[in-house]
Amino acid sequence: MSTRRTGSGPTLNFKAVLLGEGCVGKTSLVLRYMEDKFNTQHLSTLQASFVTKKVSLPDERRAQLNIWDTAGQERFHALGPIYYRGSDGALLVYDITDQDSFQKVKSWVRELKQMRGSEISLIIVGNKTDLEEQRAVSYETALRYAQTVGAQYVETSAKENEGVSELFELLTQLMLEHHGNKLQHDASSLRLQSGSSGIGISEDIDTDADNAGAAAEQRSCCGI
Amino acid sequence: MDAHTPGYYYPPKLRIGQQDLKCRQGCGFYGNTQFDGLCSKCFRERNDKQRKKLKACEDEAAQSSGASAAIGTVERKSPQHLLSLGRSKSKKETEEARNAHTMPKKKFTVPAVLQKTLKSKLPAVAQQQPARVPSATENQFVLQLRQLRIPDEAKRKLKSEIQHLDYEICKYINSHSNLNIDELSELVQNAYTRFADIVHNDARFEIATNEDRDSAIDFFEKVVMTQNHNLLFSPYFTTDEECDVQVQKRIRQLSWITAKHLDCSIDEVNAEARDLVYNAISELVGIDSYYSPQEKLLCTVRCCRHIFELLKRATGGPASADDFLPALIFVVLKANPVRLHSNINFVNRFTNASRVMSGEGGYYFTNLCSAITFIETLNAESLSLGAEEFATLMSGEQAYSTPWESALLACESLHLISENMKCMEQLQKRNSTISTGIQDFERELIEFQREVTEKVDAAIAKAPLNLLPIKTPVHLISQARAHLTLEVATGHYQTNLLQSSLSTAGKAKALSTPDDSLLHPSHTLALKDTSINSMGRLSPLQQTAQQDQLFASPIFNYTPFDAVSLLEDSSENGDMPLLSTEFQGGLTNINYDFDLSDQSGENSAADESKLNLDEFDPLAQPNLVEANNLELGTTRGSLIDSEVPVSNVLLPSPLKPEVTNYRGFSNFNIPSISCNTGDSSSLSQDTNEAKAGVDSLK
Repeated sequence: MSTRRTGSGPTLNFKAVLLGEGCVGKTSLVLRYMEDKFNTQHLSTLQASFVTKKVSLPDERRAQLNIWDTAGQERFHALGPIYYRGSDGALLVYDITDQDSFQKVKSWVRELKQMRGSEISLIIVGNKTDLEEQRAVSYETALRYAQTVGAQYVETSAKENEGVSELFELLTQLMLEHHGNKLQHDASSLRLQSGSSGIGISEDIDTDADNAGAAAEQRSCCGI
Repeated sequence: MDAHTPGYYYPPKLRIGQQDLKCRQGCGFYGNTQFDGLCSKCFRERNDKQRKKLKACEDEAAQSSGASAAIGTVERKSPQHLLSLGRSKSKKETEEARNAHTMPKKKFTVPAVLQKTLKSKLPAVAQQQPARVPSATENQFVLQLRQLRIPDEAKRKLKSEIQHLDYEICKYINSHSNLNIDELSELVQNAYTRFADIVHNDARFEIATNEDRDSAIDFFEKVVMTQNHNLLFSPYFTTDEECDVQVQKRIRQLSWITAKHLDCSIDEVNAEARDLVYNAISELVGIDSYYSPQEKLLCTVRCCRHIFELLKRATGGPASADDFLPALIFVVLKANPVRLHSNINFVNRFTNASRVMSGEGGYYFTNLCSAITFIETLNAESLSLGAEEFATLMSGEQAYSTPWESALLACESLHLISENMKCMEQLQKRNSTISTGIQDFERELIEFQREVTEKVDAAIAKAPLNLLPIKTPVHLISQARAHLTLEVATGHYQTNLLQSSLSTAGKAKALSTPDDSLLHPSHTLALKDTSINSMGRLSPLQQTAQQDQLFASPIFNYTPFDAVSLLEDSSENGDMPLLSTEFQGGLTNINYDFDLSDQSGENSAADESKLNLDEFDPLAQPNLVEANNLELGTTRGSLIDSEVPVSNVLLPSPLKPEVTNYRGFSNFNIPSISCNTGDSSSLSQDTNEAKAGVDSLK
């Protein structure tokens, strides 16, 4: 985003789109995230399709996270590109008990890669881990796929509030890294900051850190 | 971003109120938009004032230096004039700028319609007028500029930047033969970026806060876009207009689409939901009436908020995009806003790119864009319809067949009817609950009454009113008996006496005539005892009766048997059939044979009772209580009619408020001994016997 104020403004503005078939729990994820950090009254505002959240970064900067929900119905699938425009990150949510929703994620990933290339940080989210016994997509399958497309893979349960805040922290971190990479030519301190912030934020499990490494490689490949 | 400022611009409404048409001065006459919202009179007054001012300022204006040029440049010519006068613009602009300093307010208020007259009358002023079209907007901008909390230096820079971009836009449009809207858009976007850079890095903006910087950037965009709206909005060298027409046609073709087709949770038949849909629609339609992209975006945001409100009510929770997009599509379809593409493109091209990329406005705008894209590309599949059905619906060959809903949508009055019917249904329901409640209550009341009666009865049965008989000294009885035996052959009284004395010893006195009572002091003593006794136990009413009884005793002597009492008797006799034959006979007998003379008095019953002396007898029949009650009645008729002891009326019994239902003692055969006040039944019995005795004698 060329016009975003970055150099002098202390607030970074990130836009992330939320993709996923209907009923995979996109909205629940967002609500859970907002609810846990904010009071419940804030959440009870009008809608859950567009939420913003201010995040304090370790280096005293502040970032504003804009999360854009998208309609997941098949009939609106073609409208996706309108939403991707200018987005820094994408959360691709699927239901681990639903194989179809995972296939849908794949098609979105293709589209995103086509449109945004390496401009965008991707996180594939397997939601509803509380329904482990009905699982239809194995963790390994999803992880392998994520690695092949250079995305992160996270499993969450919006219902049990497992891994939700971690998910959004990871997202912020990834977008911040991207942002740093983008500005690396400025020879500014931003890169250093993003590096340090990455460490600061990262409280994720080891696998995620590994994934990040793998994803970084993937991204560099795609970036060529 | 500034919301529309009051007075500056009135957002379009679907319905125009009376107030909107009135003169802004509030003089009561209708205003005219040509006269700046004033009525003709107020407008002329104001004009006269301004003309005078203009004259006064004229000389000053001529002398004013170019140093102040920068301040005035915010006031700009309106776009349509720019187009025609663009080439000579730069020259005029300096001139303008000079004037703007001294009289920024006067100029915009001089209306175009009067310019010609001004020209002829005031040549010096007219010279400057043609380039300057009065506009409230410009004045507003100047005011807003003043309000911006940035250093004056920065303001000056801001003005010059605005001026510069204006100039560049005009130059581009007027100089290029091969116009390309994308190039123009890029030009504007670059200017935005440059200006943002200046705002954030320039020394002149250093002390400003972030918010102030943002508002400066917004202001920059707003002024430039408003001023150049006519140039940049749907320019002739683009296909925007054709697109507008196409999409409008398309939407018209799709008029048959209902909320159900889109799987959206809008209840078209619900009045509240419909109001919100209408609100959303009017906001959506209103987008076209704003000049700057920011305002258009704000309008979109308002529209979407209405939709979210609607969805929140429909689904009961915060709506997600899955609900929102279909609803937005539905609203767009129903609104069919004018110049949709032009507006979208205008915003897309000329607003600050970050605005559509982030923020709430950006999100909603993006949704609006995708809604339009969906409408343009939708096919049978996306509405889950068969291809054939879709084709026939699109061609209008077949009307979409939900008669009920389409009728409702077509006809407002039907809407109303359906609403009213719903209302009536509710009212009916409430009404029926009320009536059942009333019935229940009634039942409960009756039950309650019954219970209370039962309880009272039980309580009374437990602790009956025991009126003990008066004990007459034995020697008196024996005296009386002796006396009676003496006079045994003196007439029918004696016969009666004989009868009663045969049955009960004490009845001897009952048969004693007034003469007897007078004659025998002992007897009168007994009577007195009675009365005193009763007075002690019974109500005042009773007492009076008793007193009457006392006084009555001498009356027996004097009151003759008269016609009036006879008449009364006969009328009372009419009631007789209601009574048991025993009573009937007894009473008739009383009347005729025994004590008609009593009837002449008002308290015949009391009088009567006086005669009944058997209560003095300790051996009296136990069931005399009932008769006792009867006797207490005020009028004989009622007593006979109801056959219910009325004693409870007269008895000041707090236990028994209800009168009619009360069966009283009559329900129970209370084995109590007769009270002092005498009783008619025993009397009648007695009289019966007496009569029989008389008959037998005869």
